[in-house]
Amino acid sequence: MLELRNITKGYAENRKVLINLSYTLNAGEYVAIMGESGVGKSTLLNLIAGLDSPDSGEIRINGAAISSMQDDAATQLRREQFGFIFQAFHVLPHLTLAQNIALPLLLNGIATDCVNQMLEQVGLHGRGHHFPRQLSGGELQRVAIARALIHRPRLVLADEPTGNLDPDTAHEILQLIRREIKANGATGIIVTHSHMAAATADRVLHLTKNGLHPAQPGHNL
Amino acid sequence: MKRNKSGSNFNVFVMLLFSCLLITGVYAESNRLKPVTPDYQLSFPMDYGAHQDFRIEWWYITGWLETEDKKPLGFQVTFFRYATDRNHDNPSRFAAKDLIIAHLALSDPAVGKLMHVERTAREGFDLAYAKPGNTNVRLDDWTLVREEDGRYQVDMQASDFGLQLSLTPTQSMMLQDMDGFSRKGPKPEQASYYYSEPHLSVTGTVLRQNKPVTVKGRAWLDHEWSTAHLDSDADGWDWVGANLDDGSALVAFQIRAKQGGKVWAYAALRDAKGNMTLFDPDQVEFTPIRTWRSPHTEAVYPVAMHIRTGEIEWRLTPLLDDQELDARQSTAAVYWEGAVMLTKDNKPAGRGYLELTGYVKPLTL
Amino acid sequence: MKPPSIFRWMMISEWRAHIMQIAVALIAIAIGVAMAFSIHLINSAAFNEFSAASKSLSGQSDLQVRGRKAFLDEALYPLLAKHSSIALANPVLELDVAVPGKQQGRNDHKLKIIGIDPFRAAQISPDLLGVPEEGETLDRIASDTIFLSPAAMEWLQVEQGDALQLQAGLQAITLRVAGGLVRARAGQRIAVMDIGAVQWRFGQIGQLSRIELKLKDGINHAAFKTRLAKELGESYWVMEAADQEARIANMSRAYRINLNMLALVALFTGTFLVFSTQALSVIRRRQQFALLRVLGFTRQQLLRQIIAEGGFLGIMGSVLGLGLGYAVAAVAIRFLGGDLGTNFFPGVKPGIFFDPWDAVIFFAIGLSVTLLGSIAPALEAVRARPALALRSGAEDAVMAKLSSPWFAVICLSLALLFTQLPPIFELPVFGYLAIALLLIGGITLMPRFAAWTFASLLNRLHHERIGAVFTLALARLANAPNQAAIALGGILASFSLMVAMAIMVTSFRVSIDAWLGQVLPADLYVRAAAIGDQGGFQSDAQNAIIALPGFDRVDFFRTQQLTLDINRPDVTLFARPVDKEDPRNTLPLTDDVIAPGSLPEEVMPVWVSEAMVDLYGYRVGEKVVLPIGAVPSEFLVAGVWRDYGRQFGAIQMQLTDYQRLTGDLSVNNVALWLQAGTSSDTVVASLRQLPFGAALEISRSSDMRALSFEIFDRSFAVTYLLEIVAVVIGLLGVAASFSAQILARAKEFGMLRHIGVMRRQILVMLTAEGGLLTALGVVLGFVLGWGISLILVFIVNPQSFHWTMQLHLPWGWLLAIAVIMLISAALTALFFGRKAVSVQVIRAVREDW
Repeated sequence: MLELRNITKGYAENRKVLINLSYTLNAGEYVAIMGESGVGKSTLLNLIAGLDSPDSGEIRINGAAISSMQDDAATQLRREQFGFIFQAFHVLPHLTLAQNIALPLLLNGIATDCVNQMLEQVGLHGRGHHFPRQLSGGELQRVAIARALIHRPRLVLADEPTGNLDPDTAHEILQLIRREIKANGATGIIVTHSHMAAATADRVLHLTKNGLHPAQPGHNL
Repeated sequence: MKRNKSGSNFNVFVMLLFSCLLITGVYAESNRLKPVTPDYQLSFPMDYGAHQDFRIEWWYITGWLETEDKKPLGFQVTFFRYATDRNHDNPSRFAAKDLIIAHLALSDPAVGKLMHVERTAREGFDLAYAKPGNTNVRLDDWTLVREEDGRYQVDMQASDFGLQLSLTPTQSMMLQDMDGFSRKGPKPEQASYYYSEPHLSVTGTVLRQNKPVTVKGRAWLDHEWSTAHLDSDADGWDWVGANLDDGSALVAFQIRAKQGGKVWAYAALRDAKGNMTLFDPDQVEFTPIRTWRSPHTEAVYPVAMHIRTGEIEWRLTPLLDDQELDARQSTAAVYWEGAVMLTKDNKPAGRGYLELTGYVKPLTL
Repeated sequence: MKPPSIFRWMMISEWRAHIMQIAVALIAIAIGVAMAFSIHLINSAAFNEFSAASKSLSGQSDLQVRGRKAFLDEALYPLLAKHSSIALANPVLELDVAVPGKQQGRNDHKLKIIGIDPFRAAQISPDLLGVPEEGETLDRIASDTIFLSPAAMEWLQVEQGDALQLQAGLQAITLRVAGGLVRARAGQRIAVMDIGAVQWRFGQIGQLSRIELKLKDGINHAAFKTRLAKELGESYWVMEAADQEARIANMSRAYRINLNMLALVALFTGTFLVFSTQALSVIRRRQQFALLRVLGFTRQQLLRQIIAEGGFLGIMGSVLGLGLGYAVAAVAIRFLGGDLGTNFFPGVKPGIFFDPWDAVIFFAIGLSVTLLGSIAPALEAVRARPALALRSGAEDAVMAKLSSPWFAVICLSLALLFTQLPPIFELPVFGYLAIALLLIGGITLMPRFAAWTFASLLNRLHHERIGAVFTLALARLANAPNQAAIALGGILASFSLMVAMAIMVTSFRVSIDAWLGQVLPADLYVRAAAIGDQGGFQSDAQNAIIALPGFDRVDFFRTQQLTLDINRPDVTLFARPVDKEDPRNTLPLTDDVIAPGSLPEEVMPVWVSEAMVDLYGYRVGEKVVLPIGAVPSEFLVAGVWRDYGRQFGAIQMQLTDYQRLTGDLSVNNVALWLQAGTSSDTVVASLRQLPFGAALEISRSSDMRALSFEIFDRSFAVTYLLEIVAVVIGLLGVAASFSAQILARAKEFGMLRHIGVMRRQILVMLTAEGGLLTALGVVLGFVLGWGISLILVFIVNPQSFHWTMQLHLPWGWLLAIAVIMLISAALTALFFGRKAVSVQVIRAVREDW
């Protein structure tokens, strides 16, 4: 599903973030990536999403080399096959919940009939006409999750999705993410500092200067 | 004392007039204006009045007054009529065919310098005129009128001084030179018609600082008219007219030449009985005794003079030095016109007026 | 943390971060202040110079006596001169004389010749004494000499000693330039001649324009004025210097005030920009302020902070504006003249005088306008509850309160009410207030209107049909209209004013076009160079013209100036053959007219211009007494006509009545209708063949139309300039608010880029937002502008200039500016949209680094 081959990325001569990183992720897998601040987690996510290109190496999504695509092609790929969940939710304030969730469908030119069903799935049944300002943080992240999955993406990238939430809500949201990824048969990557969050993934990987490595069993909860 | 209160910008004329158009240069001989010729017989009362066929004309009265407290005062009143020799075709009542110019000056030793004021207006609208037939001149509210009985009435008020005088002849009139044909230069056309009325007895009031003072005294009137211009060589002139204590009257003038010396001179002495002695140019001599430098103009005037007429020696002493008439504020004319005392053989002989022109070069604006 | 240092720290950081927006607000204030200040400077310089020039002509007289007609009989002069209370009477005959070959505009070809008696004038207006060549003093009183001011010499291209040809009626006269008027004011085009010479050479024998008086010491001016007026009776006016000043001021007052109002429009637009800058800044910094409040900043401190920031902006902008305004005024006066090309102040060359008090006043206006723009956002920021404000996403709600519909409704209702009120001091004060209120009301309604429009658009258009991009754009406009609407405030204000002016000017132009058709029906107009009160054509000349072949019809006109009110400029009297059957055939009458059939036979009718109705209260059907002829006569006001030529009033009467009353058979103008098939060139040639042919001013009506429009367009040129400045400020405002919003929306764009929105699509979205918003602004601006134009056309113009016009809309032009606005707004959005697709926006979605 996702192949990383010898990725190197740096922002300055002496500041290489990722060096010769290789990894392969299979379809339907849900992995958590942990690592210290500044180790390159965000850079890795941007590279995978085609929002940034590696200095060397290749990234393939279902065989397509996103790392060497033009911006438009990469955007098209992202639009069809990616779902994103952000720490700060990034739900557009001037759109209703339904409109926010329907965005990927509209972008892909797909009918928006399934939005209500999706709302129900994330526990916001009947609130499609509400505006984001009427929602709590947990609810906003539910909207974001719905938006990330509505168009049935192949790959869902969640970047510290519970960083702004209280533990109870975080737990609910993590379960929801996992459930929805699995229900859609998507591949998922969750980047987090939280062991609790990481624990909801199938596997936990540590990003270090030496590359991606499976976590020590002791790190698992 | 206010100078140039009237603000006339035409004082330059005055200079021209007094020196009979001293300014040399080209002038067109007018065919409208009559020349002065020796064959004309003056006739009165017609010739008391204005002569509009001649370029220039003036009635000039000078005299010594005495206030009730015996203080001496000198006064000078002049009315000019000047034919512009222009605008003859212009039917407008405003057309400036003749100008009337008037000067009033008062020499008061208490003030120490001459008080004077001048006015100019165009003839017309009954506001300013010089009428023919008898002396009758007006410039706004300034008037000089000769009445039927021969008395002159002068009424002139400036803002802070003025006079209102009645002048009565005590002697017959004095026709100058050749029965009133007065030569002003070596050429025959350089002449004017000129008569004087000496020994006019004066009564009236003088206004000083707006206070009326009753005065009486003696005055001298000249009436002169001409179209001619002075000799191109002329530089200025010195003139004196005096009522002598013995009842005789003296008049003398010289026209100075630019190179020094004189272009022309004339003098006449008439005794109380009416016997007139005329003096040729070479019998008349003006010699400065003392000069006075004007602090206003830097001009140097021979304010004290020695005058010889034939065998007679006269000595002239000014009532006060500063009797300069300075009109430079408005234009260019500056001259000295002052009351003088005459002595003969170191004895007081009489009182008169001395006029000194051409001592300041015409100023350019 | 001491508050002063916090203040500096907060302001500097804010300004550094939003330098563009701050700069635009600064420029807006500066330009607004500059415009208002420069117009004030130019106006007051021109006006002061004009009145100083006029005063220098009339000198330091205590009183002036004028006739009710333009001229008075000289017989009065000696009477006044001899008056016991009068120290000096100075007779003056003043004429505007045509100069051949100098016909450039309405007043341009006239040389003002002042006839004086130098001996009298020396004591009252010494500045008017010419300086002749040395020894040629008599030139001052000669009949063939003229003294010219330096400006007149330059204009006529003559020097001392040259011959100067002038036109006196049908005669050409030649004068010698005897010298200069050294004390004439710069640019003042005047000539001085001897009064007798003017009377004679210009055929004004026996006539005077006025007699200036100096009173004797100790005479009470006011009491004597009353006494003299009584002594002189009805036919004369006795004026003081102050009356003269009022008269001069009246001549240009409407023009000056209206120009000042236009200048204030620029400032007004600036205010909206300040308001939007401050409002947006407050919204943007909501969290920052909330944090400060949480940290212990009091409400007062916060309020002070925001207002002080605005004040700082106001101070800097106003100071900049004063400098700029001074520079603009200097340049404009230099290149356009003090009346900015409108000919309201002919023949003066003013210099700018810097009055510190004026500067202080305009500085205060600039500052207070800025503070005014800061107060509402500041109050709003202070009122916010910190806990709520700390959360993001609710920014737009903040602004909702600022657009209470009640405020707008009150403004609009007041505006409506004000349109019904009469002028104050003959100025359309309420008209201008109504315009301001209409603008304010319209702009405050804008967010609501935008929300309503875009929401209904969004509802009506299905998402799937219009796609994600347009859904996003529309949704944003529908649900967050306030920020956008604020940005649009400036553009709405300037655009609607531009629309209003365009409609007004077009209406005026079309009305003038129709009017010219009515007042210039003939093919040719022949004028004898006007001189004072005399008609240039005497009977023999009239007969010679009638005798020429090729004419269908020949009409003679007699024009004259009448003084009906000493405090007002003169009224023009036209005597001409007016169609008795239907005066409409001769005059551009309004509907206010007595039907021709119902005019009584025995009365003399006059038709008065609209200004006569406003200024002198003439009513149709009323009898009026006019000083025409030897004794004033009674006339019946038979109708009202439109006159765009003379804002101070004009009266038309039958030529036969005029000639019977005055015995004056001369005329000034001849209107000639050509026979079919006659070429105008032939006729002009035969007119030139007449003995007096060389002296005629012959104009084709087409040329006169062209000239009229040239003058018209030049008069409005400065108006256009001001409007364009206002629109540019408005566009700058849009640019600034776009750039600020794009910064604020970085996260939004980042998210959109993540979920698969292409760069291009984001640009399209932004352009669509800008375009849609501007489209709405244009539509609303048009509606507002139309409303304002109604006020301008039907209230401001009649009240200021006393003429009415019909409404005409310049559709083509309006469409063109609408398109230009749309394109420029969209381009602005696109230009600043580049930031929205930069790499930074992708990083903006991350909360941790």
